[in-house]
Amino acid sequence: MTTPSRRDLEQLSAYLDGQLSQSSQARLELRIKSDPGLASALEELRQTRAFLRRTPHRRSPRNFTLTPGMAGIRPPVPRLIPVLSWASAVAMLFFIFTLGAGLIGQLFVGQTASMNAAAPMGSGAGPLAAAPMAPSNASSATMVPVVAAPAPLAPATAAPLGGGSSNPPPADQTVLPTPTVETSIMSVEQATPPAVSRFAQSPAAPKSLKRQVNYWLFIWPGMAVILGAASIAAWGLNKRAFQRKNPPG
Amino acid sequence: MDESALILDAQHGDLQAFNTLVLAYQDVLFNTALRILNDEDQAADAVQDAFLSAFRALNSYRGGSFRAWLLRTVTNACYDELRRKKRRPTTPLEPETADGEEVESPLWLADPHASPEESLDQAELEHAVQHCLENLPADFRAVVVLADIQGLDYSEVAVAVHKPLGTIKSRLARARSRLRACLQGYRELLPAAFRLEEESSL
Repeated sequence: MTTPSRRDLEQLSAYLDGQLSQSSQARLELRIKSDPGLASALEELRQTRAFLRRTPHRRSPRNFTLTPGMAGIRPPVPRLIPVLSWASAVAMLFFIFTLGAGLIGQLFVGQTASMNAAAPMGSGAGPLAAAPMAPSNASSATMVPVVAAPAPLAPATAAPLGGGSSNPPPADQTVLPTPTVETSIMSVEQATPPAVSRFAQSPAAPKSLKRQVNYWLFIWPGMAVILGAASIAAWGLNKRAFQRKNPPG
Repeated sequence: MDESALILDAQHGDLQAFNTLVLAYQDVLFNTALRILNDEDQAADAVQDAFLSAFRALNSYRGGSFRAWLLRTVTNACYDELRRKKRRPTTPLEPETADGEEVESPLWLADPHASPEESLDQAELEHAVQHCLENLPADFRAVVVLADIQGLDYSEVAVAVHKPLGTIKSRLARARSRLRACLQGYRELLPAAFRLEEESSL
């Protein structure tokens, strides 16, 4: 009778569970028959296994089912939230719109300003020529078309050209006045300051320009506020979603 | 219960399908954890952790024995718990007397539905097995619990503890050998019916 080695115990344990090959099993059975020590060890292992298999099975003290919260499954989000989840896209659209509108507005305002600036200069040609001859009509001449300017000039210019004659000259002679060099220089010197001052004081053109600038001054910050609010909303939603996905601890 | 269909549904995020599987396997997992950890509360925690891990890692299940796959998660949870226990030792499971001595037959372990005699026998048996299992290294304990108490075959045990078949054979033989030596000390305390019944059934 021999004390079984570690290798023998492994063989006996596997034999007990039917895990040996047929040839190994046959060889071991021969040894067990001839060696009472191996037979005794096999019997003890068998009893130990049976003993363990009789260990009472307990019922679970509670159910281990998972709740959606434990599993990290969120209930369907209310309808408003998906709309707000597009806040970043909406913010981008607002940004593009604001940028585009701002540029267009700038161009529009620039064009209007240049047109308004050009209008007094163009009409100033009338007063430039007409001022010395009809100063009383100068203020109204700024807004009158250029072609209308010669009409009131006729009586005034006719006097010096006519050599003191009280008779008015024929219509075809008064159409083209021919001022002398001195009168031309004088008229330029006298006409220029009033023309500039009229442009500065003219109420019509600056009023329209001022109105448009004020309008865009309201739109631009409004868009910026909407853009900022949308960005903050998007950031807040993203942060909340991240915290839900990765709860602390 | 169509297990494959439930697993497939659970893999697609169906929590109800997974919970059906939980109810089917929770006793097996709890008993395994209880035998490895020897503490009901810690075993319950390990089982809960195991089911949670299993649900999260369900897509890594690629067929085979689902029971073995689940037992692997609970075995890992038990190893984690044992490591934690080693770092922070707690009071023993067995109640103690006023003198600080361990109570021989803790009746609070008994099944309330059994008769008093059966309860006592089962309690003695359970206490003996649990005490001997406690003396085994954790790796050996897991193998013998899975193979001899839960009745898994070698291949399932290999999946559950993630070790090759040869290692399972070797560990199981050594665990049984050690348990045999330990349980011999309890033979006289246990009812003769156990031995006679076992011996006659061989």
